Amino acid sequence: MENILEVNNIHTFIGQFHILEGVSIAVQPGTITVLLGRNGAGKTTTLKSILGLTPPREGTVLYDGREIQGKRAYDIASMGIGYVPEHRAVFRDLSVGENLKIAERNKGDFERKADFIFNLFPDLKRLYKLPGNHLSGGQQQMLAVARALVPDNKLLLIDEPSEGLAPILIQQMMEAIRTLSATTTVLLVEQNFLMASRLAKYFYIIDDGKSVHEGLMEDLVQDEEMIHQYLGTSMGSTGGKK
Amino acid sequence: MKLKELWQENRMLIVLAVLVVILSILGLTGMGTQSFVRTALSGLTLGSLFFMVAAGLTLIFGLMDVLNFAHGSMFMLGAYMGWQFYTNPTFLFGIAPLIAAFIAGISLLSVIQPLVVGWELSENWQKQLPNLLNIAAVVLGFIALRGVDFLGLADTAMVSIAVGNTDPLAEISAQEAFASFWFRPLLLMASGALMALASARPGDKTRSVDKSAAKRGWIGFGLLVALTVLLVLVRESGPVAVLLMNGDLRFFLALLVGTAAGFGLGVAVERVLVRTLYVRPFFIVLMTLGLSFVIRETVQLLWDPLAYQMSRPPAFSQPGKAENLLAWFSGNNTTVNILGVTFPSYRIFIILLGIIMFIGVILLMQRTRIGMIIRAGVQDREMVEALGINVQAVFLLVFALGTAMAALGGIGAAPFIPVSPAMGDAYQMQGFITVVIGGMGSYVGAFIGAMLLGMARAFGDYFALKLSLSPAIAEASTVIIMVIVLLVRPAGLFGKKE
Repeated sequence: MENILEVNNIHTFIGQFHILEGVSIAVQPGTITVLLGRNGAGKTTTLKSILGLTPPREGTVLYDGREIQGKRAYDIASMGIGYVPEHRAVFRDLSVGENLKIAERNKGDFERKADFIFNLFPDLKRLYKLPGNHLSGGQQQMLAVARALVPDNKLLLIDEPSEGLAPILIQQMMEAIRTLSATTTVLLVEQNFLMASRLAKYFYIIDDGKSVHEGLMEDLVQDEEMIHQYLGTSMGSTGGKK
Repeated sequence: MKLKELWQENRMLIVLAVLVVILSILGLTGMGTQSFVRTALSGLTLGSLFFMVAAGLTLIFGLMDVLNFAHGSMFMLGAYMGWQFYTNPTFLFGIAPLIAAFIAGISLLSVIQPLVVGWELSENWQKQLPNLLNIAAVVLGFIALRGVDFLGLADTAMVSIAVGNTDPLAEISAQEAFASFWFRPLLLMASGALMALASARPGDKTRSVDKSAAKRGWIGFGLLVALTVLLVLVRESGPVAVLLMNGDLRFFLALLVGTAAGFGLGVAVERVLVRTLYVRPFFIVLMTLGLSFVIRETVQLLWDPLAYQMSRPPAFSQPGKAENLLAWFSGNNTTVNILGVTFPSYRIFIILLGIIMFIGVILLMQRTRIGMIIRAGVQDREMVEALGINVQAVFLLVFALGTAMAALGGIGAAPFIPVSPAMGDAYQMQGFITVVIGGMGSYVGAFIGAMLLGMARAFGDYFALKLSLSPAIAEASTVIIMVIVLLVRPAGLFGKKE
């Protein structure tokens, strides 16, 4: 099957720092692919490079068969890529409803998707009128994911959805991501290995700004040595980042 | 529980309201109703003007982190444009075809783009050609504006300062002769076309080419050329027609012309000067400061470094005093009686204009999608962009809206403060102080801060006079307020940015 996203050997600089030194990723449509690796390995920068927020200086990014590197971030996003940043970038001064409506690309996007979104995250319906800064951390995370679902995105880039969530909320978030992956392709960054291993079909390990390993998740789960080498001992933890 | 929440949410507003009530009671009992009301109304007038300057500053800063030191120049320029339209529109009718011709030239961009994208140029030429073209365009534009006799154009700007003359055509000047005018629009159109060619970046294969845009480009160009021709034709008759209009309608149009000039200038400044410098905020400060000098010198060149007094529109200039605001509607008097105080009716208009603008800003920010995007962008630009929204286009709009508001403030102020090249400076300074007090990026803060400063100035003046202190006390009071606010709340009264 043709890949929906192909990242070929990209190099990204932030200021003087050479953050990505050759990352290559391929994502097949309809799957969940996860980027693993230590803190500071370059996973978030990889997502931002795909979206054009930190444009790569070398290499190519193909989305739907078209080269998108060097395009402006809003152009890339408009082609159908949704982004859920880490640290829940919910707009504090906007109400929950406005946070969802601002993501509309065509008028009425939100109304068409409202049922689907409130099914995934029933809490948001109750909180609809509250301003974003009144939500708890978990509710903000739900809102950030829900926001990416408002337009018809074909690909979602989700950065650390479980970060700082209570175990019960992690469970709910996992269910939600699994449900939405039925209609959308997902590229996930996740520190919580247990969550990542249950959700994803494919994995890539990013280490020191390079993509060093890839394969099927079910194989990685067996390979304790590799897990230990690149990911530390986070295997089996459920509480997110230490 | 509910009460506690209410307190926490609106702490600032409640504290301010209590302060206002206490000060009002003290003022009323200490000063007597008459002087209190008069001083308070003066304060509101000043506050309204401060708000018109500060609203744009705070929005521009909150969203883009740009300190626009040319904001006061926009205020000044708005005043000149409106005043000029009101008393002697000859100059404006003279330059309108030039502007239209220049934009027509630029509109050729989408037509030129497909033609030049295939050019085979060496990498060096590809880099240098746009620069050369831009320089050529500037030289052409310079020749077009300076022409054989620059003063031929400048002369049309001058006003024969005829005080007390009732003839509406008293101050009109003769339009530049067509024999020396005709080449100006042609050269400017060529200059615009050269700039379009430069921004098409000939030979740059990565540029995307849109064939349907070329067709629309031709249509746009055709319309703009037609507009240019039309404007050339009404060059002579237009000013006379405007001056023979009903004075109030003319004043209303002057408000629109001043605002539109501010908006247009804002668009041009953002596109050409500010946009390339967003990554270097400090350069923007220097650039806008330099721009303010350029604008002031140009104004002095055209109008001489004099102060002019714009006459009030007829609706505010019938002799006598209206007994109340309703009576003013039929009498159009110069002054109006408010709570036993005789107050100039035009200043009431300024207060209303400020309030209308504040309501407009609230509606824009709270009720429209653009407002939603601006509020979101103030907090997190990157995330807004990641949603597929062209933040740069929103920046352009906000910048232009800000300068348009400043220009509207300028023309609104023109009938009661002298129109001079330096008129914007004091308001820009007060605008900055207002923004700091209200909190960067908060329009509610800008309104309350502006009113606070206006009141401080008015009451400061009153007490300075009464206690025979130096009037500098009133001017210092605004800075003192700023210092106190910054000590208590470093982010300003309604500031959120840390």
